[in-house]
Amino acid sequence: MPAEEMGKVTDRMRFVFAVSSLIFLAVLAISPFKDYRREWKQYKRSYVRFAQSRPDTKRLTADYSPNIDQIWLPGMNVVDRCTTCHLGITQASLVDKSVPQPFRSHPLIPHNVRDWGCTVCHRGQGPATEVAEAHESTLAWEQPALPTHFIEASCGSCHQADLPQTPQLARGRQVLADLNCIGCHKLQGIERPAMLGPDLSSIGTKVSREWIYKWLKEPRTIVDKDGNVTVNGYETEEEPRMPRFRLSEDELKALSGYLNVQKAKPLAAYKISPVVVASWSKNPELISQGELRFRQMFCSTCHSLAVTRAGETKLIGGEIGPELTKVGSKVNPDWLISWLRDPEGYLPHTRMPKYGWSDEDLYKVTQYITTKLADSDLLSDVPKLDPPTDAEIQTGHRLFTEKGCASCHAIEGISPQKDFGPDLTALGGKNASELDFGAAKIPRNLVSYIQAKLGDPVSVNPAARMPQYSWNQPDLDAVTTALLSMRGAPPTSALQNLVVPRKEVAFHPTGSFAEVYERYKCYTCHKFNGYGGNLAPDLTYEGSRAQRQWLVEFLKSPQTLRPTLILRMPQLNMGGKDAATLADYLSMVMQHPAVNPAGTDAKQFTPTMAALGKQLYQVKYQCQSCHTIGGSGGYVGPNLNNAGGWLTPAWIEAWLKNPQALVPDSIEPRRNFTDEEIRALTAYLMTLRAGIKPQKTAAVANSHTRGQGAGQ
Amino acid sequence: MRILTVIGGAALATAILCTVSGCRKHTEVAKTDPLLASYDAEPDWGDSTKTIPLGYQQAQGKRVFYQYCVWCHADATPAGPSNRSNLTPVPALLNDGATLNAESDEYVQNIVTLGGSAMGKSAMMPPYGRTLSAEEIRSVIAFTRAIAQPPYQPPGRPGSQYSAK
Repeated sequence: MPAEEMGKVTDRMRFVFAVSSLIFLAVLAISPFKDYRREWKQYKRSYVRFAQSRPDTKRLTADYSPNIDQIWLPGMNVVDRCTTCHLGITQASLVDKSVPQPFRSHPLIPHNVRDWGCTVCHRGQGPATEVAEAHESTLAWEQPALPTHFIEASCGSCHQADLPQTPQLARGRQVLADLNCIGCHKLQGIERPAMLGPDLSSIGTKVSREWIYKWLKEPRTIVDKDGNVTVNGYETEEEPRMPRFRLSEDELKALSGYLNVQKAKPLAAYKISPVVVASWSKNPELISQGELRFRQMFCSTCHSLAVTRAGETKLIGGEIGPELTKVGSKVNPDWLISWLRDPEGYLPHTRMPKYGWSDEDLYKVTQYITTKLADSDLLSDVPKLDPPTDAEIQTGHRLFTEKGCASCHAIEGISPQKDFGPDLTALGGKNASELDFGAAKIPRNLVSYIQAKLGDPVSVNPAARMPQYSWNQPDLDAVTTALLSMRGAPPTSALQNLVVPRKEVAFHPTGSFAEVYERYKCYTCHKFNGYGGNLAPDLTYEGSRAQRQWLVEFLKSPQTLRPTLILRMPQLNMGGKDAATLADYLSMVMQHPAVNPAGTDAKQFTPTMAALGKQLYQVKYQCQSCHTIGGSGGYVGPNLNNAGGWLTPAWIEAWLKNPQALVPDSIEPRRNFTDEEIRALTAYLMTLRAGIKPQKTAAVANSHTRGQGAGQ
Repeated sequence: MRILTVIGGAALATAILCTVSGCRKHTEVAKTDPLLASYDAEPDWGDSTKTIPLGYQQAQGKRVFYQYCVWCHADATPAGPSNRSNLTPVPALLNDGATLNAESDEYVQNIVTLGGSAMGKSAMMPPYGRTLSAEEIRSVIAFTRAIAQPPYQPPGRPGSQYSAK
């Protein structure tokens, strides 16, 4: 460049400057335009237009501001700007599905969004102002919004006691407890019970080596006619508690050999009286009589049997004890007799009650079980196994701890294992980067990880020690929800104070009642002061409800009050002394504070009152739509044939005033009876009496299937 | 000189592009499975292959229904048999759209709250207004509407066709 031209402004330079000035101007103009076009601002303007299309525009826009809206709750770590776009969240008129998102209002829940924020339950990135950043997982934020399907997990992070509004969460917690996950994992809010799997110290006296081999290989006892292994005999039902471990042939042989020699307590065989055997063994009625007793004693309340009807195999019966379809080919007959007579003698902490047996019943029932509940082909696919060698026993002993068996099963000479699997108390709050996805081709998020790991542990980690469970989808989702709810200790003290702990105070009475209560294991099905099972009525207020004499008769010979019940009180063959002990305790101790059985004298009722009560029952209130009297009426409530011999008048009066005050979840509708109507209805019900008749039970176990939802 | 112009131009172009595009990729919001986005689901009573996704209120209604109403308003109950066949007149199935779609929410709310006799219907339907809260009854109605066959069409509301985008 010549020197004279240096520093001289050429036309060309002017042109460049002009163009670049224009470009800078354009860029400066783009910024405000871009700001105007921001996602959240578009939603704001869109909301105003939307509100104008509604009849209640004024109310919908009363709190409107064009700026970012933020819920700031320092105590809970909440900085949520979700309401910037979700503008109708508290507008009751925008609840309908036809309202486009993000303007729809939140369904009515017990928590106010202004007091709780959004991300406490929904997760996601609260301070974000863009749709993707707020809801999805990004490089800087790994807690995406929780899919609505698992939202109950968030309730469970604080509410460790179950709520009626969160059935999926409650089911998940139930499954986690039922499947003994606590054996290997630490779980929030689930305590380790006294016994997980059965104690195997004397398993060699109960079953053969071949049976152990088959059970370890595939812990399901029923195979359908096509040879497919179904889950406990019924494809969509419960998972068996024992999962499938991926064991090699050698491992199966070693473990079955090791378990086969476990005979810590030698079998104390009970000899049934030869007179009974002699009089029954040739009787052609023996097996059918045994079956009748099996049904009359209501073994099916706790144990199920596979029943094939119209080509479909279903399990019918309860889930408390093991399924028994082929148990006759599983257990040693001598063991069976000694087990039935004294279950705790073999297995401490068992839930099986100690029945009162006559030799005759014992003989008939065990003969029925060993001949009819049997399958000679059960073990036909098991290779011939010789008595175990020392090497096999030693390997089995080692495998018993290596495979984690000792986490759930006690055995003599092996100390119980704890924390065999990872601690899951904080799994629900983990970021995706904290999880090992291995080679699994699944979306990188916590929900997918949990479901893949539960569904097939090896798909995530080929070396996984976790055994294989067979889930149905609703249970898999329920367990996922329960695991997502376990987020460890809440991060702030404000949140810690919100935790509602699960309360279950064990009910262990003392005295002569305690001995009978423990022997019959009443708490397996009944609740006492909030402790116990929920299969049968809560007995906390039984003393106010039932007359003592009725309790005695019922305990000696239980019969159902509810026509549709499939699972009924077992016939425990209770003697008069035990029945009296239980009835005395129930009527004296298990009282409702507001119901005094002595407070209402049945003598005050006149026939005129009873006649009026009958009319109210039949015409005005039509109670027969749900209750049965004299063979006609509905199946919903208990039958009232013997109401006068069963219930105390004080209970009937209190019940008619407000059933939910006595039994909070009762479905009996609370009516607006006058005091006179209540007295008349009570007088009528007290006239109803029926002697206790032998019940027809033979057909019942076969006549209903297990609980199914409507329309399925 | 020419080089300077080129560099300057390139820098400007980049600046413009960055301003316009925001210098980063927008992540698409993933489409979610309708069942994952639903609170609960109910099998279609008439067609077991179909599942109806339920929102929060409908799911609460399902819970109340299966505790209180199922015994008379369905043909199969959690206990097995139904009480429906015992009753005359036979109660409507809860998914009976042919009967229930024509009734307004207010009417159904009243019949559940006050009982059949108060509404000139069978006294066999007891009043639930002192047992269930108004919100619980509303949620059962929402559940009814969700499972109705033929499907329930809500009465037209102004602005219902409005879209946010």
